[in-house]
Amino acid sequence: MSAVSTLQGRLGEFDEKRLLLFGTFVPFTLFFVLVWGVPIGYALGMSLFSDPTGAAEFAFLGNYVDVVTSELFGTALVNSVVYALSSTILSLVLGLGLALVVNREIKGGNALRTMMIFPYLLPTLVVIFMWTFLLDPNVGAMNQFLLDYGLIQEPLAFFSSTTWAMPAVVVTSVWKYGSFAFFILLARLQAIDPNLYERARVEGASTWQAFRDITIPNLRGAILIIILVRGIWMFNKFDIIYLATRGGPLDATTTLPIMVYELAFLGSPNFGGATALAGIMFLLLAAVAVVYFWAFNPEQEVAA
Amino acid sequence: MARPIRLDDVRKEYHTAGTTHVAVDDLSLEIPEGSFTTIVGPSGCGKTTTLRMIAGLETPISGTIHFGDRDVTEVRPQDRNAAMVFQSIALYPHMTVRENIAYGLKVAGVSKVERDAAVDEAAETLQISEQLEKMPAELSGGQQQRVALGSAFVQDPDVLLLDEPMSDLDAKLKAELRVEVQRLHQEMDATMVYVTHDQTEAMTMSDHVLLLEEGRLAQFAPPGDLFDCPVSQYVAEFIGTPSTNTLPATVEAGDHGPTIVGEQFEIPAPEPQFADRIGDSVTLGIRPQYLSPDEGDHRIRVIVNVVEQLGTEFVVHGTSVDGAHVNVVDENVGEAGADDELSVGFDAADAFVFDVDGETICHGDALGAARSASTSQ
Amino acid sequence: MLGLGKGAAGKYVSQRTQERVRRVAVILTALLVAVFVSIPVYVMIAIAFQPSVTTFRGGQVNLLFDSFTFDNFILLFTETGTPRYLFNSFVVTASSTLLATALSVAAGYGLTRFEFRGKTMAARAVLFAYMFSPIVLAIPLYVIFFSLNMLDSYFALTLALTGISAPFGIWLMWQYFQTVPVALEESAWIRGASRTRTLWEVVLPVARPGTIATAIFSFSVAWNDFTMARVVMSQNEMYPITVGASLFLDRVTIGWSETMAAAVLMSLPPFAIALFLQNYLLQGFNVGGLE
Repeated sequence: MSAVSTLQGRLGEFDEKRLLLFGTFVPFTLFFVLVWGVPIGYALGMSLFSDPTGAAEFAFLGNYVDVVTSELFGTALVNSVVYALSSTILSLVLGLGLALVVNREIKGGNALRTMMIFPYLLPTLVVIFMWTFLLDPNVGAMNQFLLDYGLIQEPLAFFSSTTWAMPAVVVTSVWKYGSFAFFILLARLQAIDPNLYERARVEGASTWQAFRDITIPNLRGAILIIILVRGIWMFNKFDIIYLATRGGPLDATTTLPIMVYELAFLGSPNFGGATALAGIMFLLLAAVAVVYFWAFNPEQEVAA
Repeated sequence: MARPIRLDDVRKEYHTAGTTHVAVDDLSLEIPEGSFTTIVGPSGCGKTTTLRMIAGLETPISGTIHFGDRDVTEVRPQDRNAAMVFQSIALYPHMTVRENIAYGLKVAGVSKVERDAAVDEAAETLQISEQLEKMPAELSGGQQQRVALGSAFVQDPDVLLLDEPMSDLDAKLKAELRVEVQRLHQEMDATMVYVTHDQTEAMTMSDHVLLLEEGRLAQFAPPGDLFDCPVSQYVAEFIGTPSTNTLPATVEAGDHGPTIVGEQFEIPAPEPQFADRIGDSVTLGIRPQYLSPDEGDHRIRVIVNVVEQLGTEFVVHGTSVDGAHVNVVDENVGEAGADDELSVGFDAADAFVFDVDGETICHGDALGAARSASTSQ
Repeated sequence: MLGLGKGAAGKYVSQRTQERVRRVAVILTALLVAVFVSIPVYVMIAIAFQPSVTTFRGGQVNLLFDSFTFDNFILLFTETGTPRYLFNSFVVTASSTLLATALSVAAGYGLTRFEFRGKTMAARAVLFAYMFSPIVLAIPLYVIFFSLNMLDSYFALTLALTGISAPFGIWLMWQYFQTVPVALEESAWIRGASRTRTLWEVVLPVARPGTIATAIFSFSVAWNDFTMARVVMSQNEMYPITVGASLFLDRVTIGWSETMAAAVLMSLPPFAIALFLQNYLLQGFNVGGLE
């Protein structure tokens, strides 16, 4: 009996191993089929009908076409990409910087780590409360600070301004989710053999050269994974934007997930359109992921 | 109670990505009961796979395994009454040393009182009584291995299997534990099978040695036989450090019968084995230990490359004048230094002759006899 | 250790000075980040624990602690649905965490130890699920729950939440089990323990850090969740605290002080976890995707 063994049963422990296999996989499969398989399949089905919950008429790709050609789609797509990219890159840069810092200085490092986990664990709503308050035109500390230092003349309603809403949302997201990049990079940094740096010093490399030739290559895998994972996650994020701005003002922060929600639950329910859009989102992501893997092969860097 | 272990045509294959790798190739042998047998060979030769099949962790594709009269081929490892010590030691990190050792007994339903007594006894035998209440992480490598040995000891198995248990230890610890293992063997009434890639361990500890070559049995015999009566060039070259020297030669018809002729030597060959081989290429094998400077019936000249001194012995690494690597181990090499030429010699009785396929045609005594036969003519 | 990426000033400035400069830069950066991370938290606490009168005196926000009060919390408990919301959150979070963790552990073990046809497909399915936005799952679930008349039930929300947290949990446990040596299990089998017994007595205890990390993750997802709850629940008394509190922003009678008090309440479990279980969480981050 081998630990990793085939199902071509051998007599003897046939029964127990079979039983265990069942025990571990049946719940898993059942669950996935029920909670994912059926709904996704159903959604796919819905996307092919206009008004699927009402007078369902088969529209094949009609919903898809409607969605893609709608005015909102272009804006939402751009917003999604902007949001995903900026929050990911910002998190990456800040996370990297901080990880480099913490990597050296262990004193107080533990406290810093605890602090960094906390935002990630906070409910999104709490984060929204905090930042809505901070950026509030009337009582927000940010505005008071800017006014006091003469940087602006009038209070700025960040979340209600078409120019500032997106940056505000991005900053809020980075505050909450940035620690993800930090922790992964820190772990990877600490795994780099210190002997490599010592050898570099002996061989005459400067700090910058050591950073460029040792640190960066070792982090490459982690960075790529972070970009992929966070990118996808941010692209799909719904609640933090919705709670902050409801997608406004004037669709300045409407991303694709918000558009999906609006199609489904705002106004007359257009489940057909909503599910079609969801399908499009998935296709986009899948395409990006495929290209990404093909171009960078991040899995090689990570013992998957 | 110790039982003999018999393998009949045991075969194990692995299928990966379209290719089939034969790990164990129709292996048949019988390990005598109560003996200490070592399985050696280079990496990938199938020794661990064989051990795991005896343990029941792998199942052969064909063939049978018997412990005495009992066919255990399809029996689960739980039910084989075997014990195993793993290379990675495999102590349960969340249990104390005592609990680790007692685990098998606990599973078997032995009462706590009896368990404790058995554990105490095992701990004393292995000198780890002080560590009983500690966690595995607190122990050194050597102590951990003793705990693993204790866990096996306590099971009173019919068969005790050890999978390279020393490979992660330093030389001094290895030497200590070797003695422990042999002591255990004497105290336990079990058949012990020990896998290692270190032939020193194999040669010093065992009653029998099983040398594998790519899943096939190369030789199964007591250590002395592998040293002096290898059945193939593979065996002669694997066993012994430094490796057996090999020199090319041909069989020619000589005045007194077939002769093995090399660049620097001519050895009369016994009629029976060599009469049909006139004209064949053969290889002469001679162990470094059997080469001595300025002694022996047959001499070869060697250019010295490096001389190592190990205690009372010297190892001379050299090249014979016709280009082959030749090593010599002897206590007395005089003042030989790099680039000196040394004349070393051997007796035919200590040599081996291999055919082109590596099989031994004859060795030692037969060669010695041929000489005396030809000189007496 | 090097790695700060500052320029090669070595030629012009002594090593010691460089070290000192670096040290200062390090401390400064750490401080800046600490401030950035803690300001919102401090603000929340300051406003929650002070009477609104003091906080908003004279049109300016007063953030320094003049007084301390529980009034805001009392208001929450007596005049809003907060107790009920909290209860809902607890129920749904507890069930979802349990379910997701159990599922992840079982599936993770199976994926690691067993080979079977369709295994790669299963692994891909997990990754596939991860690439969907929760909102995408929410819509069909809504329709399905609606037709099954399961809306506004704990069960439905638990399922939905587990659906969101399970993929990553499974992947986490899968990675984690790969670090548990098979030899440990084999050693137990040879000693006579059946596979199942080995699972309980050897594998699970050894895998505890990973299990806890998964549980923490599932807990976060559930406690945190807004989207699924918003979609599945429509009755006020079924709302978890996240949805309930979001309504505060819209109600005129609830001011910032009470809102922040609600925020504090919502932050307590995560805070407790960060404080007491951070080691497990970090282990989870370590294993989760980057050996």
